[in-house]
Amino acid sequence: MVKSSQEWVSAAVDGEVDDQTLAQLASDVDSHQEWQRYHMIGDTMRGELPAAIDLDITASIAAAIALEPTIMAPKAKMSEQGAAVVTASKPSNVVSLFKQFGQYAIAASVALVAIVGVQSYDQDPESPLPVFNTRPLVGTMSPVSLQTGPVVNQQGYTNEQVLEQRRRVNAYIQDHMLQQRLNPSVEAQKANTADVNQ
Amino acid sequence: MRIILLALLIFSPLSHSEELSAKEWLTHMSQALSEKQFKASIIQVQADHVRPLVFVQGLVGEQHISYVEYLNGPPKNAVKVGNKVTFLEHDQPPYSVTANLIQGVWPASLSGNITKLEQGYQFVLGGRSRIAGRAGQMIRFIAKDEHRYDAQIWVDMETYLPLRYDTLNRDKQLLEQTMVIELVEFIESPSILVEASKHKWPEVINQADRKDAQDWQFTWLPEGFNMVVSDNHRLIGIHEPVEYIALSDGLANISVYVARTTEGPMPEELVTRNGLSMVVEKVGNAEVVAIGKVPSATLERIARSLALK
Repeated sequence: MVKSSQEWVSAAVDGEVDDQTLAQLASDVDSHQEWQRYHMIGDTMRGELPAAIDLDITASIAAAIALEPTIMAPKAKMSEQGAAVVTASKPSNVVSLFKQFGQYAIAASVALVAIVGVQSYDQDPESPLPVFNTRPLVGTMSPVSLQTGPVVNQQGYTNEQVLEQRRRVNAYIQDHMLQQRLNPSVEAQKANTADVNQ
Repeated sequence: MRIILLALLIFSPLSHSEELSAKEWLTHMSQALSEKQFKASIIQVQADHVRPLVFVQGLVGEQHISYVEYLNGPPKNAVKVGNKVTFLEHDQPPYSVTANLIQGVWPASLSGNITKLEQGYQFVLGGRSRIAGRAGQMIRFIAKDEHRYDAQIWVDMETYLPLRYDTLNRDKQLLEQTMVIELVEFIESPSILVEASKHKWPEVINQADRKDAQDWQFTWLPEGFNMVVSDNHRLIGIHEPVEYIALSDGLANISVYVARTTEGPMPEELVTRNGLSMVVEKVGNAEVVAIGKVPSATLERIARSLALK
């Protein structure tokens, strides 16, 4: 039966059926898709396809939108109220911010700046981050940048040594930065007592 | 007549402040920085690198509370409640240290004892200019010797809060700049600080691995620099034990490390474009590493003058 109905549609597309069959076909909703498909097949074979095929996806989009929970709504609401109630909405933001932090050791963080700094030289010597100019421990006094591998290698350093050197330089700079965080209070206190003593 | 009186009224605060000396300006600023309730949007410029942040400070009950949020990149905040500063960063659990300010916005001594700075710097009144839509009075910190960098600060003429702080190298080139782009004064503490005061912050971290250092001393230090801390701890990241000494003249902070020499070569000298220098001196089988925002020649001399008592 299915087969014959398909043949029907096909024949209808080619204009080979009488009006009565056509009316019957028109009332058969199930065949509408096939009707469209056959038309498209025909168009393709005749090379009459438009530049952009207007496949009927509107229906599926409409369905999807209908199904979707109203995600957009709260956002829109916030932006409406946001301007007026900035201060009121802030506390909740703060709490969630304060709570969302992960689980690593102190070591990782303070250091971050320095690591990023040195690594980025490798890719881009014109990087906006601080640029290192160094004199190597041995060899000539001409300024050699820490990041330029080939030059350093001419001095007889292996890649490993360069990496090791970078690691230690980083460790020192990071530690220096961390100490600034750990000691400010001590600094002020000592400064005050020093004044008293003088 | 009325107009003249009005004009007098308007200009009298200005004419009054005109009489202030450079040091009085700084003393007012130090007081304002520790007492005022305000919010400042700030940018920090290092070489071509710009970092925006917001600083909020206020009083909740009896407690001084301040909050710093870095606005670009991964979340990075710090909160100070009383004498406890908690750092909140995206890649690690929050941790607290004891401190009387959140380090990293203005130099610590600007909100502290200004007199201490006089040992290394001369205060000179500069011109006035408009910053963040406000009138600012400039005060120069002129280094008394060639061992440190110059700095200059603009102080808001109305609130006495700092508006801009520059560090300049010996050639008067800008190394670092911290500049307010918007300043709002509060009468009542903003809700974010009230929230922070109620939040339970982690306990201050226990720095158990810090032991007393040997009895180090320096045969030479630039005028105004003194020893702030000395201890023995392990280097962050590579866990090498080091002897550590912190020096400060109020604006510049220097770290001096003594470690055992390792196989790998270390650079003798290293200078970044934001003025941070590092110098490595070899003494026998030890290496002395000095780091700080001062000319590298200063670090070299400091590293060489380190001695055991």
